[in-house]
Amino acid sequence: MPMLDIKNLTLEVDNGTARVKALDKVNLTVNSGEIRALVGESGSGKSLMVQAISGSLPPQWKITADRMSWKGQNMLSMSSKERRELMRRDIGVVFQDPVGAMDPSATLGEQLEEAIPDELVKGKWFWQRQQDRRKTAINTVHKVGIKYHKHYLNAYPHQIPVDIGQKFMIAMALISQPKLLIADDPTRGMETTTKAKVLKLLTRLNQTKSLSILFVSHDLLAIASMSHTMTVLYCGQTVESGRMKQIRKRPLHPYTKALIDSAPSFRNDLPPKSTLPALDGTIPSLQHVPIGCRLGPRCPRAQRACVVTPGVRRIHDHTYSCHFPLHMEKL
Amino acid sequence: MIKILIRYAILFVTTLLVLAALSFSLAYLFPGDVLVNLSGITPHNAAQRAALMRQYQLDEPYIFQFIHYVGELLRGNWGYSFVSGLSLREEIGIAMPATIELSAYALLTAILVGVPLGCFAGLRSYSKSDYIINSASMVSYSFPVFWLALVFILIFSLEMGVAPLSGRVSLLFDVPDKTGFILLDIILAKNIDSALALGDALKHLILPTISIALISTASMIRLTRRSVIDVLNSPYIAAAESRGLSKSQIFFRHILRNALLPILPLMAIQITTLITNAMIVETLFSWPGIGNWLIQAIYQRDYPALRVGMLAVATVVVSFTILIDLFNRFIDPSREKYERATV
Repeated sequence: MPMLDIKNLTLEVDNGTARVKALDKVNLTVNSGEIRALVGESGSGKSLMVQAISGSLPPQWKITADRMSWKGQNMLSMSSKERRELMRRDIGVVFQDPVGAMDPSATLGEQLEEAIPDELVKGKWFWQRQQDRRKTAINTVHKVGIKYHKHYLNAYPHQIPVDIGQKFMIAMALISQPKLLIADDPTRGMETTTKAKVLKLLTRLNQTKSLSILFVSHDLLAIASMSHTMTVLYCGQTVESGRMKQIRKRPLHPYTKALIDSAPSFRNDLPPKSTLPALDGTIPSLQHVPIGCRLGPRCPRAQRACVVTPGVRRIHDHTYSCHFPLHMEKL
Repeated sequence: MIKILIRYAILFVTTLLVLAALSFSLAYLFPGDVLVNLSGITPHNAAQRAALMRQYQLDEPYIFQFIHYVGELLRGNWGYSFVSGLSLREEIGIAMPATIELSAYALLTAILVGVPLGCFAGLRSYSKSDYIINSASMVSYSFPVFWLALVFILIFSLEMGVAPLSGRVSLLFDVPDKTGFILLDIILAKNIDSALALGDALKHLILPTISIALISTASMIRLTRRSVIDVLNSPYIAAAESRGLSKSQIFFRHILRNALLPILPLMAIQITTLITNAMIVETLFSWPGIGNWLIQAIYQRDYPALRVGMLAVATVVVSFTILIDLFNRFIDPSREKYERATV
């Protein structure tokens, strides 16, 4: 049974004149112990998805879903207290912009200690509890690979480099010992060595503590090496979802294929000085989303039937939404 | 730390020097005799005149005159009033605390009422209660303070008779002047019924305080509301929510501090408005403060008084502004990033 199960999640917002669907019937499942990659261009709604799961959407967004459940509990009908409890204990979130996601007027240590749930703190009196909090904070900081805890725990968010900030965000998410870690583009703007360290850290956590990870990124190279399953988003619609290996070998959706082809490191037959394959055009803005399959205007295989939104089709554990999928001619 | 203190001290001293230069030049710019404008004493014969000239070093170049002037100011020799013939230092020493007292109570009211209301409106932004608070503050912000004070006098003093018309305390109480702050003086005074006198002084205080505070409260509400809304929309509040903190934890640990930090320097700007309003209200309520005193000086063409009065008011405003800014500099950790390059 999946831990996190989302079916037909729709997010709508009023932009003054009309109601826009920023996410249109998105499906996502995360099984326990797996690393699920959520891939898409910027503007495809990845971060909205994260916000919808973590319950930090601004109030003007209207959220509807056929199913949005955590271990069988319905997340949408939960009281806000239950929801908070769930976020506090079971789900940890790493946000995109680490410096912006930390309170600028409090030290990192204070914020980290604040994130420790009370039941994990040992000690009866407040000074013992205070000491224990500090100890847990230092341990967690070491775990994510920060050596100089004395310096960084007393620093303010604007005084630290971005990669340390990112590690702190991970520490803050992990300190409550969650079952699922949602990492929203945790390696953005990092140079390769730091990125490798962060990814290794996440992989190790997955292997040693069987922590499930929802890894949100557009960095295919980083994702391909570590994740087990992948979900591809395009302009607020789920395009394809399945096991990483399968999708890499035989993508069924034209968009997935374009995405994989556009990453040069996936192709070993790329002749020198050849143009990189990419889809024409750009991702449409929220004000002008096409009807039907939203890839329609850019899709090389689009036909008249594509003005109707394709339903979800399934082959074993591989799902896709396309009228004219690739590699299906023989069947 | 010490560097910051030194920097603010230099700023403070330079500003005061510029103000002193302005006040010194007023002695020349005002009509009439420079010597009389500067000293406040009208010489009766040539000998006295020559002696005064020597005392104020008016026969020397301007720059030496100015240095001497600053020295005299620091020594406390501020000249004498034309009209009363009293030392200006003593007169201002009585008038200034009265103004500061009135402004302080108004500011206190503005903070105690404005900040909670602003927070409330900000947390419920764009709801009915927010609109009500917002429009009420807009209306009270647009009242001219002298009109408001007159209306208050008309309603509460003349029609209803619940508050006295003018002054600081009833003449029946003989309060000796020690600190210049009436409430403190009453508590320190020995030979009067303090409880009765305090009640009377508070009754005198209430109308002027409210008429000044209403405008400051309105701007305080608007500043706080805006600031709270800005903080609410920032990513770290979303992050705190996703960490499962409760509403009150988020408000007291994250929203309040971050919302109040940017308000503090804006409050420093408000002080100018506050003191100006206080000076206007003083004249209407015959409050024996610096505003009332300056207006009297203008009516009576008391040039030495105007020269020093302007300097005294400006010094008070500048000191408060710089002190608040310095305080803010110490408690706001993110301020330092704007002062030097980040690495």
